[in-house]
This record gives sequence, C-alpha cells and structure tokens, in this order.
Amino acid sequence: MSALLAIVALFGAPLFAIIAAGAMWGFHSSGIDLTVMAIELYRLAEMPVLLAIPLFTFSGYLLGESGAPGRLMRLSRAFLGWFPGGLGVVALIACAFFTAFTGASGITIIALGAILYPALEQAGYEKNFNLGLITTSGSLGLLFAPSLPLILYGIVAQQAGGDIDVKLDELFLAGALPGILMLVLLGGYVVYKRRGKQLGGKITFAEVKSSLRESIWELPLPFVVLGGIYSGYFAVSEAAAVTACYVLLVEVFILREISLRKLPVIMRSSMVLVGGILLILGVSLASTSYMIDAEIPAKLFNYVQTHVEGRLTFLLLLNIFLLLLGAILDIFSALVLVVPLILPVALSYGIDPLHLGIIFLANMQIGYITPPVGLNLFIASYRFDEPVLTLYKSTWPFFLLLLASVLIITYVPYLSLWFR
Amino acid sequence: MSIGSLLQRLDFLGRRIEDVFLATLLTLMILLAGWQIVQRNFVGGGMIWADELLRLMVLWLGLLGAMAASRDNRHVAIDLLLRFLPKKVKPSVQIMLHLFTAIVCGMLAFYSFKFVKMEHEYLTEVLTGLPAWWFELIMPIGFGMMSLRYLGHLRRTIYPLPEEVA
Repeated sequence: MSALLAIVALFGAPLFAIIAAGAMWGFHSSGIDLTVMAIELYRLAEMPVLLAIPLFTFSGYLLGESGAPGRLMRLSRAFLGWFPGGLGVVALIACAFFTAFTGASGITIIALGAILYPALEQAGYEKNFNLGLITTSGSLGLLFAPSLPLILYGIVAQQAGGDIDVKLDELFLAGALPGILMLVLLGGYVVYKRRGKQLGGKITFAEVKSSLRESIWELPLPFVVLGGIYSGYFAVSEAAAVTACYVLLVEVFILREISLRKLPVIMRSSMVLVGGILLILGVSLASTSYMIDAEIPAKLFNYVQTHVEGRLTFLLLLNIFLLLLGAILDIFSALVLVVPLILPVALSYGIDPLHLGIIFLANMQIGYITPPVGLNLFIASYRFDEPVLTLYKSTWPFFLLLLASVLIITYVPYLSLWFR
Repeated sequence: MSIGSLLQRLDFLGRRIEDVFLATLLTLMILLAGWQIVQRNFVGGGMIWADELLRLMVLWLGLLGAMAASRDNRHVAIDLLLRFLPKKVKPSVQIMLHLFTAIVCGMLAFYSFKFVKMEHEYLTEVLTGLPAWWFELIMPIGFGMMSLRYLGHLRRTIYPLPEEVA
C-alpha cells in the first residue's frame, strides 16, 4: 500500500491527499473508525500559535506587492554598494531579510529578482553568476526569525509528543548564527569573484539620508517584530498580528501603494498558500497519530540504533537523507511528515531538538536549488525565461558553498546552541 | 444557454463567493488579533472568547484556502515522474490522479460529516454556549467542495467543453 501511494505521489497527486490516504489506510487496518481523521483535522483549531501562519504569510505577500522590496534594495545599496562585489552582497542580504518575513515560498525571487537581476546585470555581473546568485538567494534567510518553516518546525516538534520542549523564541535564536554563516560564505565568494572589478559606487551622505527617509515606514518593522519576540514581550502569534496590522496600515492607507481593490486579490493568493500548508499540517497530524499508535517511530528508532553506531555517523546519514528528501519534497511537507519520525531517533544520539531543527531546515534550503526538481530552479527559470539546464549550471558553485555551511552547521552544534 | 456556459457561470460564482469569504475572514482575523493586543496592553482585561474565535478562524481560513487552491489544482505536489511521461499517456495518468484526489476528499468530507453529526448529538459547545457543530461544518463543506472541484478537473481532462479549449 505504501509503495502504491509513493508511486501515486511521484506522479503528482496532491501531497495532502497522499498523506490523508495513508493515514486512513493505517487507521482502517488497525480497526479504528475513520471519524478520527476529522478529530485530528479539528486540532488545527486548537493550536494558538497557528494564527501566526496566515498573518505572517499575508504580511509577506503584501510587502512583496508594495514598493518595499525596491526600498529595501536601495537602502542596503546605499550602505553596502561601495566595495567590489558589494551589490552582490546587497542582493544576498536583502533576499535573506525578505525571505525571513515571507517564508521562502518563492516570492523572494519574483519580488526581489525583478529588481536585482537588471541591477546586477547593469553593474557588469556575468549572466550565469547573476542567475545563480539570485536563484540561491531565493531561499536564503529561512533560518532567520520569523520565517514560517522555523515556526512550523517548532509546532511539529512540540506535537511530536514526549517531554520535548522546543520554545519558538529559542529556535529563533538558534537559527541566527547558522544563517549568518551562510551569508558570510556566499558573500565571501561574491567578493572573491568580483575582486579587482570596478567599484559599485560610493557611500554618499545624500543617498544614505534619502534612502533612509524613503524606508522610514518599514524600518521599525524588524525592530518591533524581532525585538518583541526576542525580549519575550510578544508571543509569536502576537508579533504576527502586529506585523499584519502595521503592514496593512502602512502600505494600504499611509503609502497607498496597494489599492483597496487589489487587496482581496493579494489576500486570496496568500491564503491559497496558507490553505495548502494548513491542510498538509492537518492530515499529517492524523498520520503522525497513526504512526505513533503503530509504534513506527519506536521501530525506526530500534532499527537505526542497531545499525548506526555513533553520533557522527548518524549525523552524516541524516545529512544525506535530508538532502535527498529536500530534492524531492517541499520544505513544509518534509517538516510535517519527517520531523515526528526522526526527532526521537536524533534525541537518542544526544542531538538537541533545536540543533536538529536548524540542521533540518539548512538541508531543506539546499533542496530548493537541488536538481532535478528544486523549486527555486523552476521559479527562476520561469521568471527569467532561461532553460532549467542553464540554472543547474549557474547554481552549482553556490550549491557547494551551501553544502559546506550545512556540514559546518551540523558538526558544530555550538553555532546553534551558543546561548545555552 | 449551453451546459458549458452554465458550468462556467457556476464556476465563476463559486470563485466570487470564496474570494469574498476569504477576504472578509482574513480582515476580521487581522482586526480581532490586533484589537486584542491593544486591549491587553493598554485597555486592560482580555476577551476570553476572542482567543477561541481566532483559533476557529484559522481552521476556516485553512479550509477555505485549501478550497481555493484546489480549484486551479494548486496544491503542493511532486510531479517528478509526470514530467518525463510521453504526451500520449499523460492525460490518462492525470485522470487517475484527479479521481484519486476526488475520492480521498470525498471520504474526508463523509467522515467529517459524521464527526459533525456526533458533535451535534453530544451538544458540544464552543465560545461559551454556541453549538460547536456550526463551526465544524466547514470541514465537510470544504472537503465536499474540493471533491467536486477534482471531479471537475477529471471531467475537463476527459471531455473538455468547447468553451474551455483556449
């Protein structure tokens, strides 16, 4: 049965249907009435933190449709555009920042790529390098608060049961240094490639001032959100509510960049994504319950324990497994399906649940640009009208750098756990 | 009026209703969540029911969003193998996939309906006194609509109406 479902999945049936079918089959064969599916799905209405998902997603879509990406770009260019490769570094930072707020659903490439690509081209960046840089940047920033995958990992880890306590604010701290490591490695590569090339411009007081003034409304946002969460003043769902209210007020009523007519369209398209994520989460709550009933995590646990010796071997196998997983499955489905299974195993090898989360997401981030089906490769191919093969070629140096950072993140737990 | 244009009108109407619901619900959610923070920090006191209502709204938004995603078959999927299939076989595989999804959604609708009926009989209450089944009804409705949508995709693959051949 599971083999059959896997085939149906690979042919392209919606994942929620596959997971639901698997759970229903499992419950049915253990003689449990299938009303349990509805009871499990109803748990979506019992987790307060889920409120953050629609609110952050909507804010991200709204920001993406407004002039905010352009302003963010101009601002970071005013400060960082002066050294060789500076513009490339600007691209990385702007994308990371934007992705943290929009949750790496491909919007970054569409919203920022349109501004970055021509700017980099004009500055004389070679086409392949340019493409690779932007495609890779599209998923950079996953590890920074308040990205949706981080929140989802926290939720799933908590639901996985046991006495695991994964606090979202700690998870947000855990992602910071690993995320910066990726930025530094990629930024270093960009600067290295551009060494000896013309300078990107100068810092001028006038430009700094005017770009600051232009972004005056968006500037408080990261401070309010991140400051609020890190200081413990806001719960994550409250921070999401503040963000949504603030962004709505600024972009629609103060700056008036989004018309009231356009607002329902943006709401709709953001909620299509939210519906997809929540539905997958809901059915996987059911499938996880079934798997725990059937003691599948325990069986997996015993199997791995007898066959894999030592923490380092386990981590290496985990990396390989997650890279493969990321190449075929999107980050949200992978999170809800796989985390409940591997969490108990990882714990037994003495891996901290926070560290596991960062390892998981860092691997999944590479999945976005892994051939043959990495999502960002296709979005970029569509957006810039280039064949996917060109994108395979242009992303591989970045792929290797990200791989290096994933290995560092995996084998240096201190990066994720320094605050402990 | 031909069947084709009737179907198109129904589809159009369904989309409009969904869009209005989605936008209204999200707006209410943003306002309520925002107001709660203002109240908690500046006015004092909080509404106990507001937290519960917000959680129920998440369920509603989720299902309405999922319905909206199914109308254009925009659900997350891995189409690794479909890409490599010869053009001739593709439609028949797609028919099977739509049928599969329609059946799964139909089953989810059926069992959610059973759940709602149970809750109705047990008189479960939410929001200090309202019948829970009012709020749970979105589950059978949502999955039912999704099932219909996938049957629609199925029909379009087998027998596209003249209006749908662009």
